[in-house]
Amino acid sequence: MDFISGLLALWPPLVAGAVMTVKVAAGAFAIAVAGGFLLGVIKTFTRWRAVILMIDAYVELYRNVPALTHLFILYFGLASIGLQLSSLTAAILGLGLIGAATLTDVFRAGFQSLHAGQREAGLAIGMTPSRILRYILLPQAMRVTLPPLGNYAAQLVKDTSIVAAIAAPEIMFYARNLVTSTFRATWIYAFAALLYLALSLPLSWGARRLERRLGASR
Amino acid sequence: MSAFLAPYGEYGGDWLATLLPAAGMTAALTVSAFLLAALLGGLVAALRLSASPMLRRLALCYVEIVRGIPVLTILFLIYFGLPNAGITLDAFTASMIGLAISSSAYLSEVLRTGLGALHKGQREAALAIGMNPGQMYRSIILPQVLRVTLPAILSTLIVLLKDSSLCALITVNELMLTGRALSTEYFLPLNIFVLIGAIYFAIAWPLSLLSRHFERRLLRGRRTVAG
Repeated sequence: MDFISGLLALWPPLVAGAVMTVKVAAGAFAIAVAGGFLLGVIKTFTRWRAVILMIDAYVELYRNVPALTHLFILYFGLASIGLQLSSLTAAILGLGLIGAATLTDVFRAGFQSLHAGQREAGLAIGMTPSRILRYILLPQAMRVTLPPLGNYAAQLVKDTSIVAAIAAPEIMFYARNLVTSTFRATWIYAFAALLYLALSLPLSWGARRLERRLGASR
Repeated sequence: MSAFLAPYGEYGGDWLATLLPAAGMTAALTVSAFLLAALLGGLVAALRLSASPMLRRLALCYVEIVRGIPVLTILFLIYFGLPNAGITLDAFTASMIGLAISSSAYLSEVLRTGLGALHKGQREAALAIGMNPGQMYRSIILPQVLRVTLPAILSTLIVLLKDSSLCALITVNELMLTGRALSTEYFLPLNIFVLIGAIYFAIAWPLSLLSRHFERRLLRGRRTVAG
């Protein structure tokens, strides 16, 4: 009985944490998709070497440095020069910028999978480049892009756990607080693990289904 | 800009003297966790390809569960959770095991795909000329599987290196925790964390380049749409 009432007491704060986890992940996902799409499009269609080099530098810098380091630079580093971001803003911005670097090449791979004739046919019938992108290239590129996008979302949900280190009140943050007040580390962290599983497994299963379905139609 | 760079001239030497041993700790943690992950990952991959459906399902569960939980949660479970069950590990050992468990789930998938891509005639030929299973794996199977999987294995190593930064949160004196301590001592967190980022980059980027090099070598001669 003691055990069950203990578990019931854990429920509200950890679920509040899960709500915050979803908020951080959704915010970061929006930034990552917008940024990754923009950079992917530019990298695919630009003729300027310097622009490509700059995008590559951004991607490499973000992919070869730990997320925690980026978050500390944004949260503790910028605060020291007078630019104090809230922990939530720093968390969403940091994970979003890292995600944009990850997704740049995902979107680029999507466009690269298309034959050059697709674009030329659009031009030949008099479509503007932006209409070609919207009506011809993007719908076809999504077929290659969607499954990795789903996998990225599953990864992102797990990566939000580290924003506890800059005091954003998500699952791990609440879990740590609960442990210091109740000392039941095993149960609380196991419960947190279950919450993450419940959030991320459907996403990765969805991504795999999508992959099979889109792959089968080829 | 010069206001940002000035502290490096003044304290850069002191910082590096403190951070380089910490980078050594990061490297030691990464390498030892990776070796353990390779062992575990190989075992799980073997189970996923075993003849017994139950073992296959067990290995699949392991992979799915481990890949669904954040590394930080795994580390906290091992370091703070296991003592309640009577198992107390020091921070380094807990970190090594936690990182290895996480990495092994990804490595096992990489190895499984690599093993699956190998034609079964390779195995049969090795057995036909009288090799025992040990010889067969050492000189026929592993060299070919490693060749195909090397880019993905290196990517897993980079992820492991970056994840090792999380061990700062369970008190391992690696780069991030040492950086935290330095930043409270000097009150220059921006300079210090940028320097730490540069150190991680200096380790991870060559590995990325190497991974891409092997990937290109693998694709050489194969015609793709991109040309």
